[in-house]
Amino acid sequence: MDVLVWLATHFIGIFQKGATVFSGLVIGIVPLLIVLMTAVYALTRLIGPERIDRVVQVAARPGLQYYPLRYLVAPVLSVFFLTNPMAYTQGRWFPEKYKPAFYDSAVSYVHPPLGLFPHINPGEIFVWAGIAAGITKLGLSLPELAVRYALVGLVVIFIRGIVTERITAFLMARARRSQGLEAEAEATASSQAGTPELETQPSRG
Amino acid sequence: MMSGVTNSLVVVGRGAGTVVGTLYQSGRDSVDQVIRNVIPFMAFISFVIGLILYTGIGTVIAKTVSPLASSLPGLVLMGILGGIPFLSPVLGPGAVMAQVIGTLLGVEIGLGHIPPQFALPAFFAINSQVGCDFIPVGLALGEAEQETVEIGVPAVLFSRQITGPLAVVIAYLASFGLYAGSH
Repeated sequence: MDVLVWLATHFIGIFQKGATVFSGLVIGIVPLLIVLMTAVYALTRLIGPERIDRVVQVAARPGLQYYPLRYLVAPVLSVFFLTNPMAYTQGRWFPEKYKPAFYDSAVSYVHPPLGLFPHINPGEIFVWAGIAAGITKLGLSLPELAVRYALVGLVVIFIRGIVTERITAFLMARARRSQGLEAEAEATASSQAGTPELETQPSRG
Repeated sequence: MMSGVTNSLVVVGRGAGTVVGTLYQSGRDSVDQVIRNVIPFMAFISFVIGLILYTGIGTVIAKTVSPLASSLPGLVLMGILGGIPFLSPVLGPGAVMAQVIGTLLGVEIGLGHIPPQFALPAFFAINSQVGCDFIPVGLALGEAEQETVEIGVPAVLFSRQITGPLAVVIAYLASFGLYAGSH
């Protein structure tokens, strides 16, 4: 009997603890999130997404001087106004060789600003809120961490854009080369298909 | 004269109607998002945290994960693991791994097992794999051609193996002075 009571107490205890955590999360995060998301969605609607298109189109131009636009301004604007996952549709303004790099850069910025702008990716807020909960528990300042996370994120997406662009260029060049080799191999194969006849002739004789 | 007044009233009324309509629709969208995507995840995370806190699994995690997350080499190792091209697409979906591990680390930070300034590099260490599961879809949303997708997937995955751990190091350097006075 005591065992059963012990089991019952601790079984429900787990969920009571979970429930306390849950109400803390719902009260602490949800109201702020809803109000902020409403404001940003309205702002996006009033500004009009087509204005963001225009900035991104400039960022898609070739040339070294467009790097900061391409892998900082364009991904940040796309992510802020279009949010995850619609931000990636902005890739359509880029030439094919930049598309993987733009995607990498944009997708890497759906979490770093969550402490400041949770509307960007509310479904994955715990990438930020999980660790941030520990900081709150210690009674330390959250904005300090949120700002640093967002800023380091900028540095990281810029580097990711450049690195991925280089790797894409390398892989594209290699794919072209191997296509060229394949074409060559086909040409030699077809010429070799003709040679056996020539080679068999001597053996016949 | 009279028609001028009516016209301006109509313009003002229509403008106000548009703004209010936009705000209302935005509110509806955000509540929708929260109910569909945010609260279900909160329920799941609450259960995990409740289990950790109540059962004392926390001390087990403290002994295994906390040392890893309290040093630069440990965090870089996490970044490298998350960035492995074969693992990253598996770890990616819904950022569930990042969110669960982040939550575990948050609990440990709160308990004082991990120094708080390690929170910054930890964000990047748990998230090397961000978006690696979504590359073909993300590129398709950007109207990429099939050949670009074929090259883009390995390009991003290889790039991540380099930039994942690199991001941890950058964040570590950027964490100097964070919460310096706290302990």
